[in-house]
Amino acid sequence: MVFSSIPFLFFFLPACLILYYLVPYKVKNYVLLAFSLIFYAWGEPVYIVLMLFASAVDYTNGLLMERFGTSAGRRKLFLCASVVINLSMLGFFKYADFLVETVNALLHLSIKPLGLGLPVGISFFTFQTMSYSVDLYRRNVKVEKNYFTYLTYVSMFPQLIAGPIVRFSTVNEELHSRHIGWNDFVQGTLRFMQGLFKKVLIANNVGALWETIKAAQAGAISAGSISTGSILSGNASAGSISIATAWLGALCFTLQLYFDFSAYSDMAIGMGQMLGFHFPENFLYPLSSVSVTDFWRRWHISLSTWFRDYVYIPLGGNRAGTAKHLRNMFVVWFLTGLWHGAAWNFVLWGLYYGVLLTLEKYVWGEKLDRLPKWLRHLYAILIVVFGFVIFVFDDMGQLGGYLSLMFGTGGNALFGTELIWYVKNYAPLLLTAVLLAFPLYPYLKKKAESLPRWGRTVLSLGAAVGYAVFFILTTAYLVNDTYNPFLYFRF
Amino acid sequence: MKENRPSKIIQSITAVFLAAFVLLFAVAFLITEKQEFSEGENRYLEKFPEFTFSSLKEGKYTEKLQSYLSDHFPMRNLFMGLKAETEIALGKREIGGVYIAKDGYLIEDYAAPKNTDKIVGQFEKFAESLEDAEVSLMLVPTAITIYGEKLPALAPVRSQLQTRDEIYGRLDFSTIDCYDALMEAKKDNELYYRTDHHWTGYGAYAAYTAYCEAQEIVPLPLDRFDITEVSTDFKGTVYSKLNDAKIKADTITIFENPENRLTVYYEDKKETADSLYNFEYLEKKDKYSMFLNNIHPFIEITNETADSDKELAVIKDSYANCMVPFLVNHYRKVYVFDTRYYRGGPSKFINENRQITDVLLLYNMNTLDNDTGIGGIY
Repeated sequence: MVFSSIPFLFFFLPACLILYYLVPYKVKNYVLLAFSLIFYAWGEPVYIVLMLFASAVDYTNGLLMERFGTSAGRRKLFLCASVVINLSMLGFFKYADFLVETVNALLHLSIKPLGLGLPVGISFFTFQTMSYSVDLYRRNVKVEKNYFTYLTYVSMFPQLIAGPIVRFSTVNEELHSRHIGWNDFVQGTLRFMQGLFKKVLIANNVGALWETIKAAQAGAISAGSISTGSILSGNASAGSISIATAWLGALCFTLQLYFDFSAYSDMAIGMGQMLGFHFPENFLYPLSSVSVTDFWRRWHISLSTWFRDYVYIPLGGNRAGTAKHLRNMFVVWFLTGLWHGAAWNFVLWGLYYGVLLTLEKYVWGEKLDRLPKWLRHLYAILIVVFGFVIFVFDDMGQLGGYLSLMFGTGGNALFGTELIWYVKNYAPLLLTAVLLAFPLYPYLKKKAESLPRWGRTVLSLGAAVGYAVFFILTTAYLVNDTYNPFLYFRF
Repeated sequence: MKENRPSKIIQSITAVFLAAFVLLFAVAFLITEKQEFSEGENRYLEKFPEFTFSSLKEGKYTEKLQSYLSDHFPMRNLFMGLKAETEIALGKREIGGVYIAKDGYLIEDYAAPKNTDKIVGQFEKFAESLEDAEVSLMLVPTAITIYGEKLPALAPVRSQLQTRDEIYGRLDFSTIDCYDALMEAKKDNELYYRTDHHWTGYGAYAAYTAYCEAQEIVPLPLDRFDITEVSTDFKGTVYSKLNDAKIKADTITIFENPENRLTVYYEDKKETADSLYNFEYLEKKDKYSMFLNNIHPFIEITNETADSDKELAVIKDSYANCMVPFLVNHYRKVYVFDTRYYRGGPSKFINENRQITDVLLLYNMNTLDNDTGIGGIY
């Protein structure tokens, strides 16, 4: 079930919240667990077994680690057991066919792929359960003795299928005792709604433009005519896109992914708050970064800190000499790329960032800092937009085709009338999206604090009207069953 | 930061309002009566899915449940219209494959053809399977081609004529061009509905004159027909895609030759009528269905007063339904096949009835590529 859908928004969520608020405190975790299992089973009625299994494994490993707390060797053994089981599961269900295809391509074999469907959210929940085992091994967290409490943590529906990757240590306390207050409900509701509007009104619509441009360029490539087509009554013909349009398309996909992904995190954080949990922020306006290093401090923070804490630092980080640092960068960014999907373009995307981050550290980082700010923004956004082109095409041929359109090596024109058409149709949306990608909202909020009391009251009233209008509009888009994709099924 | 009590209260009210809105619609959904058929969208709405474990396992159950919920959502039409109006207000001129064109026209986009090879193959095989009858093909450009100047500026459209010419070029039987006739006729009359994907009777008349020219028949002038406006509140299929109540309705005009003595036999229903129109459909949403009584696999039309004893077979899509009233003037019998439903292929019937001398294949360019009837031609 996706959050931005009628079943979830109008039935599942209200039913869950009403029951959750009504039952006595001791039962709340069980209500949350029951709804989370229904939520997961809705989309994965079979693979839910996997999630139950993964949680059971780490729960048991945790108990055993605690039981043999004095023996460092045994503790390590149970840690290894947890990591091996989790990674095998992930490897088998997510990467087996990728491996088969790669081996087939390299050795000219024809091993049959398994054709397994990827269980939704497997990359998220295996990473969560692994972090629990590692934290326990490092004695950073207390063992969880109640299986249902542990399962409530793993399966908790707000963050189950698209993050953020909430660590056990973050919510351990709240799992056992939390305050569920009116203010949290109000703020949680508003945060959830912000995410919902971002997903339905912005991400889906810029995504639709990206799909249109992608279809237009695919038509151009298959027809073999990129620059000219037949022209009918003065209109630009379909199946031809200019360099500028190709870049607009790439920008649209970047905006789509950012607004979609961060919207999921907003909705997760908001729903967590309604339930009394406080999840960490996952996105901090990454498209307003001034460098690649800056970008990765702001994009999918729960994933990058996961790799930092559980892979990069254990490998020695940057403290064991340049050679080892380079190796560590390679490993971490290879894995980060691979985490996003079982295909080589994701690996390429990860390594692209590994290389750029290394270059910023060793080569041009300091020089970059001396550049004017607008130039640093431009530098970062160009790298990010280009990166997402690698990200979006898992077929290398298609990727090459699109890149040749972006750089004009396909002989396409710099500008075309189709660009004006797209901009005319999407101008208000694109403008809004670009503005909202910058931290305008926190800035205005801060400014508003210095307003007199009546001024702040007027602003809140304006915001209230905005919420109402956007919610009605969101409902209109959901009822209409237009383009409403779930982008993370590869993760 | 200083607490601002009024702001806090307003935020609380906002959250309560949003929650109340959600609950209100959830309750309204549960208590309202469910419609089976949507007149506005002209389609059957999703029924409450029957639960089976296998359908759950395949994800079909939850998918259907989702469609059920959005199909029966309270005030669905209003919400659809709200979305369309918002997008138009924000400058969008293409919504879900529909161009918001000038003069109140909603014009459907022409999607990239994918099945041209298959279509050519089917036409070829059909023509080869005929023993005596002469076959001709007419592909009708739609509003996107004929009313190209009404499209919003710079709209990126594919050329239907290019596809048509490719198909025509690869066939070795006679093909008829109606583009010139339509371009000429559009100066005088509205050839396509503004809210529907079909052409009007005037469009069909223009194509009929092109057909007559190719067949060396003298077409009847328009003033030989009784021309009646039978409906002024027709909101067609393209309207339904947007459901925006602000869009103005169309007029349906029919053409009847008072001299005709018609017998129209619908084989599937075993029913006979004396008119090519079923006026009952004018009470419904889907008013275009009045032409030839909507969908029938096989219709046999006899006209006692036709100007020849020749017989014609028409294999077609729904565009032909308003062109047949013109064709019947020149053929004593017209057989109409809808190959989406007609079993066994029409060539057997045509070969067995040797008095059939002419066969017309008639399709519009916009739905040709996905027409399931193409598979039934041969």
